[in-house]
Amino acid sequence: MFLITCPYCGTRDQSEFSNAGEAHVARPANGEELTDEQWADFVFLRNNPKGLFAERWVHTAGCRRFFNMLRNTATDEILAVYEIGAKPPKVTTVEPATPSGEAPIGSGNDAVKVMRPEEPK
Amino acid sequence: MTDTHTALRRSPLAHRSTIKAMEHAARLSEVPFLGKLILRGDPAKIAKTVTGVAGASLPTACRATRKGDTAILWTGPDEFWIVTPDNAHAALADKLGKALSGIHHQVTDVSSYYAAIDLAGPKARGMLMKLTTLDMDRSAFTEGEVAGSNFGAAQATLWQTASDEEKGGPVFRLFVRRSMADYLWCLLAEAGFEWGMPRQAPLSGETWRLER
Repeated sequence: MFLITCPYCGTRDQSEFSNAGEAHVARPANGEELTDEQWADFVFLRNNPKGLFAERWVHTAGCRRFFNMLRNTATDEILAVYEIGAKPPKVTTVEPATPSGEAPIGSGNDAVKVMRPEEPK
Repeated sequence: MTDTHTALRRSPLAHRSTIKAMEHAARLSEVPFLGKLILRGDPAKIAKTVTGVAGASLPTACRATRKGDTAILWTGPDEFWIVTPDNAHAALADKLGKALSGIHHQVTDVSSYYAAIDLAGPKARGMLMKLTTLDMDRSAFTEGEVAGSNFGAAQATLWQTASDEEKGGPVFRLFVRRSMADYLWCLLAEAGFEWGMPRQAPLSGETWRLER
């Protein structure tokens, strides 16, 4: 459990919020020209990075508004919260390294190794 | 107190009567038939007109304002609740609709949709602390504060109507959807059991105990 700062209500417990998937996925304007593969990409396929990720959240139990969040999926560090329609702010975070021998990203391996800058590689 | 049911209507908690904990520690009661309106619109555009009609000014985030019997609660960046005494909401909705014509807005009567429960007394904070993740310390949640949150499994809007210093205070008002009203009533009674509040048997027949 972690605390989330809603841009409208302030800091509340995570249990009041719902995740709504990747942010900034724009609906194609030329829908009639798309192939099935391109539609499938828009409808079903989402990024699942290990590290910095922009995602939508909704304050379900509070003001019931959607907002965007920049979160480090490896460390659960929340880097920025901004309104829908706004551009993501520039942030810096510790990108988790993927040491050799570790299972590939997205395999369900939840053993996270975060390499701090001062640590030897 | 208004009758909880008449030949024409019946409040969501008409089958319950006010219960108290020991030595005025806490008191749980229903506030039946309050008028409730949801007002939506850009606060910058509707503020002046709403103040002119309802009396109270539009509150800032997570706050409530009141003028006489009418209160305005902030529930979202473009959403407000107007809480009025019994039967005053229809006329107010009418006046608001007329005054705001031409401005993009929406006024909806939700009086029958929400039940209102008043929780008063020095142990009220302790009871709420068991049910919610909100910071219920008296320095964090003060008079006039409004917050939507989860209380047990129920979603409700919490509003502190009277300060801790007042006699019989603090007083909290919880607005909950009427189908969840009996659940929340019984859960609050269970939370007050420690201070002598009588346990209530839920209508659904299920029983649960809070972990201590």
